[in-house]
Amino acid sequence: MTTSALIERLGLKTFNEQGDKEIRGVYISDMVSDIIGIKEGNLLVTLQTHKNLIAAANLVDVAAVVYARGKVPPDDVVALANRAKIRLLGYDQDTWTLAKSLFELGVR
Amino acid sequence: MSQTDCRHKWMMANVRDGYLVTEGCYHCLNRISFFSGEPVPPVESYHEGDHFWNYLGSAQASKFDLRCGACGTQVPLKELMALMLCVGCDPTCGVYKVGHSDRERRTWVYVALCADTSHASGACVPDEGVRALNAYYQGESGDPQRITVVPCRLRRSVDSCQGIVLADTGLTELY
Repeated sequence: MTTSALIERLGLKTFNEQGDKEIRGVYISDMVSDIIGIKEGNLLVTLQTHKNLIAAANLVDVAAVVYARGKVPPDDVVALANRAKIRLLGYDQDTWTLAKSLFELGVR
Repeated sequence: MSQTDCRHKWMMANVRDGYLVTEGCYHCLNRISFFSGEPVPPVESYHEGDHFWNYLGSAQASKFDLRCGACGTQVPLKELMALMLCVGCDPTCGVYKVGHSDRERRTWVYVALCADTSHASGACVPDEGVRALNAYYQGESGDPQRITVVPCRLRRSVDSCQGIVLADTGLTELY
């Protein structure tokens, strides 16, 4: 599934506009030190809106970042994500509800 | 397959969680870093020769080595304390120059930070480790245009550097 298709299916918020990417998997983490070990193409689900997370997400070339539970990234984080061409998305409900929805959509 | 013939497929190995601790000496003003696997990072000041090291800060971090899944070659990264994203703050910095050497494409430069933060000893992350980190993070495409990892000895100044260290700072701001 692509990031655009996911946005449409789940009604995700978009904090910036970036090109479409194929989602190859899902990874849920709030720790930068954990994220630096994941494979490229993952949809990264997190609560962490710190700029460090974007630096790590860029290193491992994520498909997009989804902030769960209504978290909103600060402007400087969006600016860095734009430079890195990383799409930032938002989901109002909790991470578990998002994980279930992703699984039901076949994003695994 | 012999190790010399292998087109390595690097993966993380020996991943350890702990704290990246930074200390400074009041006398020489140098800074050092180390990785602590203790549940709580040590904050005590101590003498070491002419140095008087004092705790400056810490952040949760991970240490790891790289191992080839094909031939089993292992590259220990014991000198690597953390990775840092260069934000291009200083055109005179050696790290900046690496990222801006190609005017057509901007390369994201990540700095492999060693323990000798001020480089007083001249030691840094060895070339073999930097090569393996590049191969790992450039992925299957091996595209050095998108991601390049360089040793921190290229950095002009630890004091003015505005790079983003890939460690868990700000976790307490989650809620």
